[in-house]
Amino acid sequence: MVGETLRNLLMIAWLLPLAGFAVEIFGGFWGSRKSRVAAWMSVGCIATGFFCSLSALLIWGSSNNFWKVPHETDHHADAGHAEPDHAVADHPADSHDSHDSHDSHDSHDSHDSHDSHDSHDSHDSHDSHEPPVVLGQTVYSGTLYYLARFGSLDISLDYYIDSLTLVMFTMVTFIATCIHVFAMGYMSEELTEELVDHSAHLSNGHHVHRPGRYYRFFAFLSLFCFSMLGLVLAGNIFQVFIFWELVGICSYLLIGFYTERKAACNAANKAFVMNRVGDFGFLIGLMVLWTFFGTFRFGETLNDKGEVVQAGLFQMLPRDETGNVLRDAESGDVKIGVVTAAVEPGGTRTIPYSLLVVAGLGVFAGCVGKSAQFPLQTWLPDAMEGPTPVSALVHSATMVAAGVYLVGRFYPMFVQEVLLTIAYVGCITLFMAATIAIVATDIKKVLAYSTISQLGYMMLGLGVFGWGAGLFHLITHAFFKSLMFLCSGSVIYGCHHEQEMPKMGGLWRKMPITAFTMLVGVIAISGLAVPGLISLSSVFAFSGFFSKDAVVATSLAFVKGNPSHFLLFIVPLVTAGITAFYMFRLWFYTFAGKPRDQHIYDHCHESPWIMTGPLLALSFFAAFCAIGGEEGPLYRLITGDQPAHVAHGIAAPLGSGELTLPGHEAIHAVHGTAGTLALIAAASGTFIAWLLYGTTLVNVAEIKRQLSGLHGFLANKWHFDELYDGLFMKPSHVVGSCCVWIDKTIFDGIIHASAEVMIFISKWDKLFDEAVVDGFVNLLGDSTFAVGRSLRVIQTGRLRQYVMFIVVGVVALFAILFTTFPG
Amino acid sequence: MNPEFLLTAIIFAPSVGALILALLFDSKNAEAMRLFAFATTAVTFGLTLVLWLGEFQSDAPGMQLEVVKAWIPTWNVYYRLGVDGISMPLVLLTSLVSMLSMAASWSITKHIKGYMVLFLLLETGMMGVFLALDFFLFYVFWEVMLLPMYFLIGVWGGPRKEYAAIKFFLYTLAGSVLMLVAMLMFYFNSDVQADGFNLIRLAEAATAGNLLTPKMQITAFIMLFIGFAIKLPAFPVHTWLPDAHVEAPTPISMILAGVLLKMGGYGIIRIAFPLCPYGAQYLAYSMVAIGVISIIYGAFAALAQTDFKRLVAYSSVSHMGYVLLGLAVWKINEQTGETMNSEYWQMGLNGAMFQMIAHGISSAGMFFMVGVIYDRVHHRDLNKFGGLMGKMPLYGGLSAGLFFAGLGLPGLCGFIGEVFVVLSTWSFNPTLAIVAASGVILTAGYILWAMQRVYLGAEYKGPHPEDLTPMNMRETVIAGTLLTLAVILGVFPAIMFNVMTPSISRMAKAAEAGYRQSATQLSQDEMQAKR
Repeated sequence: MVGETLRNLLMIAWLLPLAGFAVEIFGGFWGSRKSRVAAWMSVGCIATGFFCSLSALLIWGSSNNFWKVPHETDHHADAGHAEPDHAVADHPADSHDSHDSHDSHDSHDSHDSHDSHDSHDSHDSHDSHEPPVVLGQTVYSGTLYYLARFGSLDISLDYYIDSLTLVMFTMVTFIATCIHVFAMGYMSEELTEELVDHSAHLSNGHHVHRPGRYYRFFAFLSLFCFSMLGLVLAGNIFQVFIFWELVGICSYLLIGFYTERKAACNAANKAFVMNRVGDFGFLIGLMVLWTFFGTFRFGETLNDKGEVVQAGLFQMLPRDETGNVLRDAESGDVKIGVVTAAVEPGGTRTIPYSLLVVAGLGVFAGCVGKSAQFPLQTWLPDAMEGPTPVSALVHSATMVAAGVYLVGRFYPMFVQEVLLTIAYVGCITLFMAATIAIVATDIKKVLAYSTISQLGYMMLGLGVFGWGAGLFHLITHAFFKSLMFLCSGSVIYGCHHEQEMPKMGGLWRKMPITAFTMLVGVIAISGLAVPGLISLSSVFAFSGFFSKDAVVATSLAFVKGNPSHFLLFIVPLVTAGITAFYMFRLWFYTFAGKPRDQHIYDHCHESPWIMTGPLLALSFFAAFCAIGGEEGPLYRLITGDQPAHVAHGIAAPLGSGELTLPGHEAIHAVHGTAGTLALIAAASGTFIAWLLYGTTLVNVAEIKRQLSGLHGFLANKWHFDELYDGLFMKPSHVVGSCCVWIDKTIFDGIIHASAEVMIFISKWDKLFDEAVVDGFVNLLGDSTFAVGRSLRVIQTGRLRQYVMFIVVGVVALFAILFTTFPG
Repeated sequence: MNPEFLLTAIIFAPSVGALILALLFDSKNAEAMRLFAFATTAVTFGLTLVLWLGEFQSDAPGMQLEVVKAWIPTWNVYYRLGVDGISMPLVLLTSLVSMLSMAASWSITKHIKGYMVLFLLLETGMMGVFLALDFFLFYVFWEVMLLPMYFLIGVWGGPRKEYAAIKFFLYTLAGSVLMLVAMLMFYFNSDVQADGFNLIRLAEAATAGNLLTPKMQITAFIMLFIGFAIKLPAFPVHTWLPDAHVEAPTPISMILAGVLLKMGGYGIIRIAFPLCPYGAQYLAYSMVAIGVISIIYGAFAALAQTDFKRLVAYSSVSHMGYVLLGLAVWKINEQTGETMNSEYWQMGLNGAMFQMIAHGISSAGMFFMVGVIYDRVHHRDLNKFGGLMGKMPLYGGLSAGLFFAGLGLPGLCGFIGEVFVVLSTWSFNPTLAIVAASGVILTAGYILWAMQRVYLGAEYKGPHPEDLTPMNMRETVIAGTLLTLAVILGVFPAIMFNVMTPSISRMAKAAEAGYRQSATQLSQDEMQAKR
């Protein structure tokens, strides 16, 4: 029942924007360019979606007794935190097995594969003491319809609803609603029959004049919301890939919204093609999974009687009690767990461990592209060519976080080599992007690099076994980064499309709401906190502190277990300082100090309520959504259905050379240390930023001049664009020209040559015909003619003479006959 | 209507139309002729719809609505027709694309009567190829189709029409000569001479292992394969295609890409695989390799084009590579002769068939879109377009949709075929699978780059900017129909898979059995030779 209700609610939230798109895209035909109808429709769809998602979340929570828990955690914060771990640690395989065991007798509803009461029962039967907190393990999955079936193989559209799905749905729809409302104001200059685009030039130097495209913008936004929600709802990895591509094309359409601007078109192409490079890896991962597992589904497939006919991907990978992937002692291959009819009836199958790594890396490659991680990060800064609401929604809060989401979603399938790669990729990315953000002067570019860097934090968190930490940061980041992008949009709108920070300054007097909300975002992302404000053991901080704290603590715990990977802690710690530095630099540069360009300052104004309203709403959540940190409701919601092997960590067998992955306890032990260090880093970053940009004590230009080499390197984005241009773009054009050349000269050459040969032969044939054949025939004809002519003399017409010839002839014939055949 | 008569009616309705058109119509009344020809194609399309929705049973794997009439009894040639899940989608595609490209033929202004007559005869030939079950009849239709095409390119084509037409003709003729030789091989090796051209009986004999010896199967398969690969077209016998496409008038390009190329794939799956299963399996690796090369090579060549239509033509080479790839991912356990991962091969076969349908829709659409702009500004230089999205928003939007379908965007038809084929390839050979998968990057590259040069940008850079008028109703309906179908097939591919799957899995099982028989035969021969 609950499963069906949830499914229906989320389906409404998912499909409404699609319906909206289908109507809005024709707005140019059946509406006026000056009409806001499309925007209202779009807002209506997504806001309804938000209420559906929120009610789904509430229903999920109450059906699982989730809302009662905070009381217990408040009273026994530590106990409540630790005890579920013990419960699982006592019976480590328990929660894993309960997936399989209780499904067979849970036959009420094929969609509700897991019911809280059942899992409760299974705990009861095994445990002597009842666990105080019954957390989730409540996944509702099922099939919507089939795309194709080949024998026992089938590919379908499914849904998979757990706490992560619900949190993502609620977050995406809420932020999208705010941004839609904001965009109604921000895009209002499109409400005209003739718009002058100052950034697009004709060949004669004039600006482009074009009709406004208000309705088209909202249609694309709606399409994006549909794709993004589909990605989150997806119940199999193939479906994720489908919507993965769809959000990619929406991103393409939105980046290239100003089709007249060359930079926008280039950025759109670059974004899509670079994402496709990642998707190429994704596709390889899909091929491996499909070939060896024979299914794409996350959850089990049940038949009408509620029996498991096909295990899901998440149930197939066998893990021992500690969470290590079970491998065959001799070959090192992995025996895939419960496989039914699909592959070999009743049998099991093995997959080489290396291919398991390939599959994981492949899927992660897709995430690298989508989440703009090293080495596919260069498209995201360029994507800022799109309108600012797009940057806020697509390129910071939701789509680029989809890569992180997928890593989290697909976590049960990652082996530790893959996790380590994820951690290092995240680590490189977060540092590199932060360094570039220091020197960027375009307000949106700073935020873009900051996004890349924060996505790196999320990846790092996931990679060092902080499943909850990485996704926690995903949600908090979505709030404060979309807030900051909207603030920058408000600044850009107020300053009449000026994006360069060196031309701003002192704007807080002109736009106080924007400045204030931006400050909230900056504090949140920097991870500043006031320890001991409420009680000695707790800190007062905005959301970013808690989530970044969780990531840094996890990496410290990881490094403690694996000292050789110490960089995974040092780099994010240092970068926490850099983050605070560049974010406060941005704020001081823009809002504080004296105006640097008086003209811009004079014409600057605060944005209307339709834009500042969403800012205030988002700033509230950016500040308080993570309240309570890892004991707070948000973190507990996210981790409600966390993968079974995450909580207790994985200890490496001695001398195996494998990684020790920290469990919750290990992380909890170092939490204080990590939090303090991160706070010190952030505070010093803030201080330096204030010193350089908030005061006039230090001459920034002088520092820049002294470090011009480094500055140039950073300002040129580590020269990645030039590198890729030389390595991939130009060679592929050369190869393309080669193919054309081969076609024209070699293949067509052969064809033409053989045609020439044919013509040549037929010429000789003609000569031969004329000289020899015709000559012979003519000769024959001539001689016959000559004979005939000579014979004419005997054609006298006299009968007696003819009779004479006949007689002579007959006699001669007989004579010849008798002489040749005697006897 | 009598179901037995239905197939004949589908084949010859266009011919009857052509006859009426030739005899009764005044060649000065252009509009009447166009309308009548369009009505004829529409009736044919209606008949195929009746066939699909009314008569055809999707869950039956075998031949349906078979018609057998003696034709040339002394040579055992029969007029034998039938339809199954493999030909049904292609018949639908043919009638649909014919109807739409007839609607696109309003742009033809020269010798309208001759054009319409030839066009309708061409449709008869195409329908005949897909419905014939007698090899000789198949061959006759195959040739019947060739001549109208030759004239349609050669008379109504662009500046180099003679060259393109003769190139197309000679290439295809070379292929059909090889096919003819193979046909005679089957005829003289069949046990029952009366069934010497009967494709169903021949396939059954091949399944039982008593049609051709394994070595002869390889020879016959190579000859058939070359013939069909030319049509497909596969690397390296694809060079007729860019020329033919570029020179042909728009509607004929639509037919070429939408239907004619599919005959290559259809021939492979209908004739080459069932009749020479051992040869097919023996050459599977080569075919997969050729398919993969076609994908990558075609994409690279498309990247380097400056002619809009040539780019779309090369994209066809690339996309049809997936068809060959999907057909050939047939892996055998060398020891036992059993097929490994049979279901993955069936997925490949289904994916290849779907790709044919999808490509028929998307490439016909792309060619049509190129034609629309060519009709207005009379050039196709990619570097002299730009800004069309602003000048002709409806045209730009519909084009974007169709080009995205070609790009393989999920939700549109191109995605399903490509990705199913690629997914089934890993179990055959991981390396080739990875190379094939890399095509997704190149495809995105050349399509988006072309779109940028044509549709995006600040202004139109070519001649005749004043002629950039919005699409008219007829053009909008054609493009809209194709885009709608692309969406429907992309979202609900099961519509086509339900029709195809039973027949394809039957074909695959028969081919597997045929291979086993031949392989056993071969190993017995070797044992005897050793003794």
